[in-house]
Amino acid sequence: MKKLLFAIAFAFFALTGYQAFAQEPELSPERKQAIDSLALEKVRDLSKYVKLIGSKNTPWSEANRVIDRAEELFAPDAEIGVSSLSKTKVEYYKVRQYLERLMRLNYDRVEIDWYKIQYVSDLQRQPDGTYVGVITIFQTFKGYDAEGRLVYQDTTKKDITVYVKRKETQIGGRLIGFWDVLLGDMRVKETAH
Amino acid sequence: MNKLIKVIVPVVLLALCLKVDAQFIGNVGDVQMDERELITMTKQMGQFIHRFNYEEDQYGKRLYPGDKDYRSAQKRKDVLPLLFDLNNQRTGGALRDFFIEDLTKNNNQFMEFLGGKWYSEVSAKFIWKGKVVDISMIMALEKEGLGSKWVISNVFFSEFQKYFPHGEMAEREKHFLHPMSHELDFMNIYKVFNDPQIIEYYASTDYLPDYLTLFFYEIKQGNLKFDHVENVKFHIFQIDNWYFEVSWFNRKGYNAGWLISNLVYLKDEEKEALLKIYQPKR
Repeated sequence: MKKLLFAIAFAFFALTGYQAFAQEPELSPERKQAIDSLALEKVRDLSKYVKLIGSKNTPWSEANRVIDRAEELFAPDAEIGVSSLSKTKVEYYKVRQYLERLMRLNYDRVEIDWYKIQYVSDLQRQPDGTYVGVITIFQTFKGYDAEGRLVYQDTTKKDITVYVKRKETQIGGRLIGFWDVLLGDMRVKETAH
Repeated sequence: MNKLIKVIVPVVLLALCLKVDAQFIGNVGDVQMDERELITMTKQMGQFIHRFNYEEDQYGKRLYPGDKDYRSAQKRKDVLPLLFDLNNQRTGGALRDFFIEDLTKNNNQFMEFLGGKWYSEVSAKFIWKGKVVDISMIMALEKEGLGSKWVISNVFFSEFQKYFPHGEMAEREKHFLHPMSHELDFMNIYKVFNDPQIIEYYASTDYLPDYLTLFFYEIKQGNLKFDHVENVKFHIFQIDNWYFEVSWFNRKGYNAGWLISNLVYLKDEEKEALLKIYQPKR
């Protein structure tokens, strides 16, 4: 009997929970802007981490710690797809692998700068209800040799997937809703800029 | 020449009037660089749609219903020419002007993300029976569950098409099973299999090969293996009596990113026939 009651109660909560989610209204422009800011915050964190990881002034152990932090911004299965003007075939990397490659680049000095321009897409819902969007940012990279000569430079467009999910947590016995933002796959494309 | 000036002047003016830090909420970057080219670039297909509909102003600020200029016909007239590949003769001149006139005359034609009738063409390299081949996958947006997803609606692969040549009607009409074949226990059915190249002549007159099923079958058989994506573009059929194509232009200047690369005046009846190719099961 207890089992039956438990099953009914579980089914009821699951159903009402699902309905509450399904009936969640479309995002208002204000809410969308608030979520965009949250997502952009993550992207901003990522850009800071990339700068630190790439910098030759960052000690090895510190760079590794920063890679850990950067990895936490992404969903576990996120991948980075990279192509250049000369090599259009996309090479795939795991987030950690990509960042470690950046750390090991064979230049004596590296300059990584981010343009102030960015574009934040609309958020669309995928079949499970999670919102998904894409933030586009641009980065310049310059690599110098021991004599201080610029030996490589590029400008890349980075299209970063953003997953946004409504979650709840208990604080002081009260259920508080919040928007959880996680970065997903990132497409890195060299531009002719 | 006048027409060229009409298009180029707004592009340059737009670029010049853009303030470097005028766009969007907050900034990722902290270094002063010339960003005008990146601002004018149509960076995402979603941005193309917003610019096409004038749901985003020239500074990149999103406009919503109720905002003064939201979907403004006059503003669309100014912005739409900038969404064309200006190096392409096929999308310039009178055809483009007619298109823009059609869009803004009653100002009731807009692109809708979930409005159907727009497709992405993903051109990819595959390995088929040991050799590298080109296959185009047509992707369509489909609503499911609480949201939507991209699905493969068809594939174009020349090797599949070769298997099903259209054939002359006179030749097709020579091949059939007569209507009393059943009384003879279909003893004549062996004729169907005599020439495998034309076996489909024995199917219904309405028969159309299902290339997507063939594609899946070849993948499942292990004959076809995905290698990589070469190119992505979009085919848009949402605007009455028009079809256009949007491609990615990775280049310097103020006319880059996702731009209209092909424009065709297409009667809606003809469009229906084309849509059956892009998405046979609608």
